[in-house]
Amino acid sequence: MLKVENLHASVGEKDILRGINLTVKAGEVHAIMGPNGSGKSTLASVLAGNEKFTVTQGSVEFMGEDLLPMPIEERSRKGLFLGFQYPVEIPGVSMANFMKMAVNEQRKARGEEPLSAAEYLRMMKEKSAIVELDSKLTSRAVNEGFSGGEKKKNEIFQMAMLDPKLAILDETDSGLDIDALRIVATGVTRLHTNENATVVITHYQRLLDYIVPDYVHVLYKGRIIYTGDKTLALRLEKEGYDWLINNYEE
Amino acid sequence: MKSRLLDIMDAQYLPKGDITESGRWFYTATQSRNITIGCGAKVELLIFDSDRFEADCDEECEATIDIRLEGGAELKLVHVITHDSVTLLNIDLRGDAQCRVTEVMLGASTLKVTSSLMGSNAHFDLNGLFVLVGEQRGSVEVDVNHLHAETTSRTLFKGVASGVARGKFSGMILVEPDAQRILAEQTSRNIVLNEAQILTEPQLEIYADDVKCSHGATVGQLDSDAILYMRQRGLSLEDAKRMQVEGFVSDVVMHAAIERLMEPLQGLLSEKFKQL
Repeated sequence: MLKVENLHASVGEKDILRGINLTVKAGEVHAIMGPNGSGKSTLASVLAGNEKFTVTQGSVEFMGEDLLPMPIEERSRKGLFLGFQYPVEIPGVSMANFMKMAVNEQRKARGEEPLSAAEYLRMMKEKSAIVELDSKLTSRAVNEGFSGGEKKKNEIFQMAMLDPKLAILDETDSGLDIDALRIVATGVTRLHTNENATVVITHYQRLLDYIVPDYVHVLYKGRIIYTGDKTLALRLEKEGYDWLINNYEE
Repeated sequence: MKSRLLDIMDAQYLPKGDITESGRWFYTATQSRNITIGCGAKVELLIFDSDRFEADCDEECEATIDIRLEGGAELKLVHVITHDSVTLLNIDLRGDAQCRVTEVMLGASTLKVTSSLMGSNAHFDLNGLFVLVGEQRGSVEVDVNHLHAETTSRTLFKGVASGVARGKFSGMILVEPDAQRILAEQTSRNIVLNEAQILTEPQLEIYADDVKCSHGATVGQLDSDAILYMRQRGLSLEDAKRMQVEGFVSDVVMHAAIERLMEPLQGLLSEKFKQL
């Protein structure tokens, strides 16, 4: 599904990704961990197509196509979803209208007719239930006045609406209380099938109790320096990153 | 879309002479008019420029509309300008009169609104927006004169300009020396796209001491993080921009002085935003 080879990216003069290799297959869950500033969020942004970053080397293949020349919206329409670490507030734009437009854009890209109002409402109701999102929130402006937990639930709600092939969740667990974490994580697990894949970027092992990863990668200084199974996350929680970082030579 | 405004307004053409009873009227903004709303009358009024605007127009498409609210009168006014024109709108309020105005200016026009509060407990409320595209030039001036004690006013005007359009907003709150216990607020918010420019000049002139006046003005650009967010969900760059601009002005329309005109006003705006 996703094949990242020797990916280098920079912002301005600063190199942030310095040779990422990552292969994600359908049905898999990958966790990416690593100390602050190691490039995790940059990797998510670069894959999503954020124009702030410049790819200087390497290649990314998504669903058999070259991802890098595609603009952001095209990547989205091909089934790539990014759960934002800091979901953006958009005053005056109602969540329901925004999502309707997004869902219909995705349908158009697949050659499908737009949803009728009734179909859309039914879909919203069904999908918002997955993350126990208060239905009142969908009539409000996008993320405006949402609590931290509501914003993150809203990300997973959107993921449910768009049904992506690959979801990259950038610190979806940060700033959540225990209940919200359970709801968000359970939602993600419910959306996971053998046909899609999830990459979760996280600092905490707790999320991985719910979303059990097939692989755990450690990103450091713009490279994946270690890959293990789910037990790696437990060890990192206990011992920190020092044992990995100290052994790492550039 | 404008005919839809009229359909939904479901009103009679405004007759000449004073309005002494409550009711609902419309009037096409092509000629100067003098309108007096009698004591205690509650009036809804739609003023707009018709599709045969040029044909109906006085010379230079300039109109002066004088409205006078007698004691305790209430006016809800929606004023829509889609053609290039010059309009002077003067609204005088006697004691206890209440006036709520929604201005929607979609032409390369000049609009000057002057409101004079002349009796205690008079309140003037204005929500407005202008949208300029391409090479359009437009300007809006809102002067609120608190001539009497215990009067209140609130103005919110939003501007959007794209292409190489130039817009200007000037606002003035004047408080006369004897006009104590005044509450006045004026806000100008603007978004510019491409090479467009908007100049905003809020001003206060206060000669009384027991007053609470505030003004604020901003000119900004679209939020690039919001654009990125919307595009990540599959919206095209154009749709993302348009949606954000619509969101920016939505509160003006949502709080339209005549509530049921909200939907046709939204429609008019959506048409205009296709040209952004």
